[in-house]
Amino acid sequence: MDYDYIINTAIAITKGFKVTYSLLFTTLLLSLPLGLLIALARISKSRLLQYVAGTYIWLLRGTPLLLQVFFIYFGLPAFGITFDSMTAAIVAFSLNYAAYFAEIFRSGIQSIDRGQYESADVLGLTYTQTMKRIIIPQMAKRVLPPVSNEVITLVKDTALVFGIGLLDTLRTAQIIVTRDFNITAFVIAGIFYLINTLILTLIFNRLEQKYSYYYD
Amino acid sequence: MNILSINNVSKKFGDLEVLKNITIDVAEGEVIAIIGPSGSGKSTLLRCIIKLVNIDKGSIEIEGKPMVYRDTEGNSIYSSDKDIRVLRKKMGMVFQNFNLFPHKSVLENIIEAPLTVNNAIRKEAESTADKLLAKVGLSDKRNSFPCELSGGQKQRVAIARALAMNPAIMLFDEPTSALDPELTGEVLRVMKALAEERMTMLVVTHEMAFAREVADRVIFMDLGEIIEQGSPKEVFGNPTHPRTKAFLGQILR
Ligand SMILES: Nc1ncnc2c1ncn2[C@@H]1O[C@H](COP(=O)(O)OP(=O)(O)OP(=O)(O)O)[C@@H](O)[C@H]1O
Ligand SMILES: [Mg+2]
Repeated sequence: MDYDYIINTAIAITKGFKVTYSLLFTTLLLSLPLGLLIALARISKSRLLQYVAGTYIWLLRGTPLLLQVFFIYFGLPAFGITFDSMTAAIVAFSLNYAAYFAEIFRSGIQSIDRGQYESADVLGLTYTQTMKRIIIPQMAKRVLPPVSNEVITLVKDTALVFGIGLLDTLRTAQIIVTRDFNITAFVIAGIFYLINTLILTLIFNRLEQKYSYYYD
Repeated sequence: MNILSINNVSKKFGDLEVLKNITIDVAEGEVIAIIGPSGSGKSTLLRCIIKLVNIDKGSIEIEGKPMVYRDTEGNSIYSSDKDIRVLRKKMGMVFQNFNLFPHKSVLENIIEAPLTVNNAIRKEAESTADKLLAKVGLSDKRNSFPCELSGGQKQRVAIARALAMNPAIMLFDEPTSALDPELTGEVLRVMKALAEERMTMLVVTHEMAFAREVADRVIFMDLGEIIEQGSPKEVFGNPTHPRTKAFLGQILR
């Protein structure tokens, strides 16, 4: 085994980690709150908001993520909107994942018993107070497992950005493999994804534990 | 003056007439037991009073102020949202299924509305909550979560939570129906103590012994109508309407 080669390759791939991590964390930071807003619109009393949110979810879940990345990177310039490739990826990923999170949050909210709304209502809480203090905190506990699933899918989906020329972990590894005729770089990339999904799984397990102080 | 007046209230769900021309005047400090067979509209009546559902016809006044009134053409018009908020705050409600907030401790359940709705000072809200917990006999459960309580304890917390908003009228919708028989006593005792403090109470119940002992007036409803009402002595001892007789015969057997 050529340890020097392995170490040099690993160092070369770390440049890709940065792209993967920026995309991953920025997407989470944007798509989780956006998803919650869309979920609230979807269940609101306003027909218009329901319709807009429903259409949004349908469009973004109904087309491939890579197509959305292409559309934003290659398509929007035709309308005079240009993004650098990283921004385009972040926008596409955030919008797409927000749609998935919205559906998870919506079903989570709708799984909460009507009695919770009624008791909050007779105590005088407004709708906003009820959502913020009673419903959403309970929803958060219930949606942890499906959200965890989505986040792990997202880690792997980040590799799609090779499509617009971003040098993420997988793309960097691929360049090295093609250059050196040696698959070490792929193995290192695989380990990178595994470690990250493992860490995220552990974080979500901790969160579930944190929420286990009550059951309903 | 009546603390609560319900005048000719009707309510339909689709084609189903659930309340037909209901009129009840409630005096301050009065305890009213509402009894009747399943589906007779008892819950709906309480839910109309506290505006969990809107009525179709009639009017409702609380302390002489209209929550919903009849205009000159006889249509029922609800007062402004602001006025309704004020009036609804005079009422507390306790549900069959407790509906405690499972993610909040007993204390947090009780101070939730005082803090968020009344902007109370936390310290004061907590000291009120502690007094209420003592009153319902649950001081030692202050920091427990609802999932750690028995049904009877949950219901007593629910009563304390409603009382924390200092209501003038308490509505109870079958507060002991979800409880194991051995746990109903502790809840009924708390309600009885409340009645002795002259709290105005409307209690939908199947606990005839409680109605007989604690209520000032018993109202028997069937198919959305008040069939008969009077003191417990009159209604239980000498029911006049055949439907009351049949119902009591069944339930007291
Ligand atoms: N939201 C609703 N939509 C449609 N129908 C309803 C609704 N709420 C109640 N009903 C119907 O109205 C009727 C009266 O219901 P209600 O719950 O007031 O009866 P109840 O006297 O409380 O009965 P129970 O003793 O079983 O609690 C029933 O036939 C019920 O099915
Ligand atoms: Mg009922």
